[in-house]
Amino acid sequence: MPDATEEYPNLESVPLDAPQFEVAAKNVKRTEYVTFAAFVLGFIGFAAFGAAYTQNAPTYLLGLTIGLGLFFFGFGLVSWGKYLMPQGPFSEPRPLMETTRQEKELLKADFTSRGKVAIKRRSFLVKAMAAAGGVFGIVAAFPLIRSLGPLPKNSLMTTKWRKGSYLTTIYGDRVKPSDVAVGGIVTVFPEDDLGSAISQTILLRVKESGPIVTMPGREDWAPDGFVAYSKVCTHAGCPVGLYEHLEQLLVCPCHQSMFNVKDGAMPVFGPAPRPLPQLPIYIDSDGYFRARAGYDEPIGPGFWTRGGTA
Amino acid sequence: MIEAVKQRIKIHFKALLKYDKAARLVIFALAPIFLVQLFVELPAAASVGAHLGRHHSQTTGQITQTAAAGGARTPQLQEGRTLFDENCSSCHGINAAGSKLAPGLRGLGAGVINLWVSSGWMPLANPGAEPARKPALFNSQQTNAISEYVASLSKGGIPILYPDLKGASVEEGFSIFALNCAPCHTITGAGDALSNGLYAPPLHGLTSTQVAEAVRSGPNNMPVFSTGVISKSQLKDLVAYVTKYIEHPDNPGGLGLGGVGPVAEGFIGLFIGVGLCLLVAFWIGDRTEKEEKEDSHSKGNKKSETGVKHA
Amino acid sequence: MIDAIYNWIDDRLALSKSGRHLLNKIFPDHWSFMIGEIALYSFIVLLISGVFLTLYFVPSGATVIYHGAYKPLDGTRVSDAYASTINITFAVRGGLFMRQLHHWAANIFVGSIVVHMLRVFFTGAFRRPREANWMIGATLLILAIFNGFLGYSIPDDLVSGTGIRIAFSILESIPFVGTNLAFFLFGGNYPGKDIIPRFFILHVLVLPLIILALLGAHLGMLVKHKHSQFKGRGARNDNVVGSPLWPNYAAKAGGFFFLTTGVTAILAALIQINPIWQYGPYVPYKVSYAVQPDWYMGWLDGALRVMPSWEIHLPGHMIPNVFFPGILLPGVTFTLIYLWPFIESKFITHDYAEHHLLDRPRDNPMRTAIGSAVFAFYFVLFGASSTDVLANYLQVSLNVVLWIFRISCIVVPIIVFPIAYKICLELQQVPEAGKRKRHMIIVRDDQGAYHSVDSEEYPGYIAPELAPVKIEDVDLAPEIEALNTSADRPDEGIYQIPRE
Repeated sequence: MPDATEEYPNLESVPLDAPQFEVAAKNVKRTEYVTFAAFVLGFIGFAAFGAAYTQNAPTYLLGLTIGLGLFFFGFGLVSWGKYLMPQGPFSEPRPLMETTRQEKELLKADFTSRGKVAIKRRSFLVKAMAAAGGVFGIVAAFPLIRSLGPLPKNSLMTTKWRKGSYLTTIYGDRVKPSDVAVGGIVTVFPEDDLGSAISQTILLRVKESGPIVTMPGREDWAPDGFVAYSKVCTHAGCPVGLYEHLEQLLVCPCHQSMFNVKDGAMPVFGPAPRPLPQLPIYIDSDGYFRARAGYDEPIGPGFWTRGGTA
Repeated sequence: MIEAVKQRIKIHFKALLKYDKAARLVIFALAPIFLVQLFVELPAAASVGAHLGRHHSQTTGQITQTAAAGGARTPQLQEGRTLFDENCSSCHGINAAGSKLAPGLRGLGAGVINLWVSSGWMPLANPGAEPARKPALFNSQQTNAISEYVASLSKGGIPILYPDLKGASVEEGFSIFALNCAPCHTITGAGDALSNGLYAPPLHGLTSTQVAEAVRSGPNNMPVFSTGVISKSQLKDLVAYVTKYIEHPDNPGGLGLGGVGPVAEGFIGLFIGVGLCLLVAFWIGDRTEKEEKEDSHSKGNKKSETGVKHA
Repeated sequence: MIDAIYNWIDDRLALSKSGRHLLNKIFPDHWSFMIGEIALYSFIVLLISGVFLTLYFVPSGATVIYHGAYKPLDGTRVSDAYASTINITFAVRGGLFMRQLHHWAANIFVGSIVVHMLRVFFTGAFRRPREANWMIGATLLILAIFNGFLGYSIPDDLVSGTGIRIAFSILESIPFVGTNLAFFLFGGNYPGKDIIPRFFILHVLVLPLIILALLGAHLGMLVKHKHSQFKGRGARNDNVVGSPLWPNYAAKAGGFFFLTTGVTAILAALIQINPIWQYGPYVPYKVSYAVQPDWYMGWLDGALRVMPSWEIHLPGHMIPNVFFPGILLPGVTFTLIYLWPFIESKFITHDYAEHHLLDRPRDNPMRTAIGSAVFAFYFVLFGASSTDVLANYLQVSLNVVLWIFRISCIVVPIIVFPIAYKICLELQQVPEAGKRKRHMIIVRDDQGAYHSVDSEEYPGYIAPELAPVKIEDVDLAPEIEALNTSADRPDEGIYQIPRE
């Protein structure tokens, strides 16, 4: 063992019996008891967790046992550290982050030249390397991004609704007027796209009979008191499944945009900027609802390539 | 309890209106006795309408399950007529023909009347008020009597429904619930606010009869789901799901926080979770920044004098 | 034996040369320096509980028929992801506890990051030389929020699925690249089958690795710079005052880890979180009311709600409504957060010096006022995410509630700014503000003279101030002597307190 005074040059500067080395606890014995008790409780908690787990106890027992175990264990540790260790305060020096000009220059010199082996003098190499590396960086991103999915192409602009598509429920049943009472709703799909996120449409019976003209030019779109709108909100795409039949409002449950059913689903409140697209429907000779045509505009929320008109 | 008191006052007040002026004076004079009666009966009024129930129970017969057309020929219809005339006709008109205050009820069927009365929506707290869920004014026997009486006045509508839940599939019910009910009532049946001060009520504490009648009749702003949308067997499944799993969720994992999802969870996470951790940190660390004392004039500070000044 | 093992390791790694330095690292004692630790410990809980959950979670959107303990789903067609999460809940022993622990820890993780960030902001701890660390912290907040969103999305339940739908709408709203980006990320048009496995790998591998790396950098810089500290108690710009890592802080911080974990575990035991069996599987045409994201996404959801129904139509193109609250708002928010240290030194304080002593919020009224106003703005947006629940709870019209929030998110910050500014100025005039007052007591002594003395300190008052001891200067001679004389006590701590 070497001589202690050589190892520790600041010897004797602060004696170990300085008040900073006293413990913070006023009543050391009591604090020791409390800490001990905390560890014992932690022990009990952990053991109880083990027992609870082997007995396949319910969640609250599992959680309470281990939670209280952890809590008391932590309490014991903190109480030890806070009350039964030197109260301090202690300090250590902090070197500031500022460096001298000379230090900066030295590092720069080392980095760029290291004597004669210069990077500086071969800047054309640096440029060539940067060019190659840059191209690599760009092309490396290609497979990472482009392989992920197809291009949108036309898929956001259309749905599976076609001229003559039957309005069918999720169970595959074609809908006829007698299925829905006044004030009723039913979610419908084209037969070849049941359960679709895109084609989902909501069929409402607003009144007993007679056509509903939601807008000029839509005279034959909504026969016999029925009207059909896209169920995808024009705001953020949630299913507009909330219908208040006395108010005749469709409400989006996500952000509470409200659409007036009689007025071409014009938004009357909330953030939705455009009306829900209306599906033109008719009743065929067999008495089933069919689409007169597909939607005449892209359904759902806006997107950059949707086009400039509302 | 306050609700119960209000109900009692209303019943007495309505009774008052029926008499002519002279009788009214007498009754006003006797008002203190009414009051005493009210308070004597309060314990019994916990189940509202108990008084009326006692009063009429001798005259009622068996409950029939289907709407009987025709006049008040059975004891049940007679009771229904009496109750209707006393409690409903002031707004809905004699023979449920309607008045300026409220629509007529003919043709709605016993099911609709049963739903509105058993849910406490009717009678209204005061004419023109929004229907609100409150303790039902009548017991089920009386409610049925009123319903059957109104249904007997004209044909049509929905009978009182007693869905037979034997063999119902809660899986199918859950699926139908998510498609047709959750958009308004939320997936946990907690209820939520609709437009302009309207509310989709919570679906707790409902009988299977009420659920079925609500689905078929579409009370207030609720859409009407006829058999073409929710078939008879699907209705059974749906009712089974609502009365079993919405009412008594299979709910491991502790307090459900009212079934309103991340809003309540966020508040708990922030204010209890992070809050408790902050309190713990507050205990572990020093509370305030300590500043060196320039003057140590206080008595208790012995240590500061012996402390090693280093800085 | 321990001695021998230590010597063996030490002879190969020279621990004794640098180890003392490490043990001597000083941590400030003020409680507010421990907020970041809550985040760190929650992250550890997240890693441990997350590993448990990955063992049972099946990250696949493929359809399976669920057969299991939860009756209302028996025989239902659900995704693998949803079925396996239900199985973790009902069939795996301790699974529900682990799920709830994971979710609560996530809520506490992001929450404590925000509180930590507020502390750093209002005390000016982001100033030189800590600007880079502030930016790393902001990045960690973004990653934590994003990973939280991914995490609650992958069980594929009805509520979170609706959130993914909104995320798709927000992605496709980005000008120029949005539509392609959305299609690439989702593997096609919404809903796409790829989203669950992709979110999963981001959630359990990519983002946690980045978070871990940045956390390393965050703490590495902290060691390099050493802690900032409040004034007083001998604290200067060129020292750190507090407790040493060993043994005080190790015990306190170690205990704090267990306490944080314990609080999280008790929450997980008693309070249900994300009961996805009640929500049911995600089906694109189904929806539930009262769908909100977890709270840390709440400000974005609130912004979506209060945004007026505007969108911009250009020739052949459009900028949809959700772009403004969904992309522009967070973009501007985090740009401002990143640049704040530079904005402040350039336009407000004109102070480019190195700072290790912290401000109190009152010391820089402009910073405090701006911070309070901006925070108030986001708090209002956060509240706006629960308009429907609030309207239902308070029985106020939904439309009225929304308008209150629309107006508040402009008015409240405008009110908060001057109030915060004024309070700071007032506090500056009261040096004793925030400190316990001590009464003056007049006593009469034996000679009949009167003296005024201070009252007793409040209960729990620990100590009159001691000057800090330079940790390297501690006289260890008696300790080393003790080690030499009694060879059977080689592992005693060096700060052992001599007791009479």
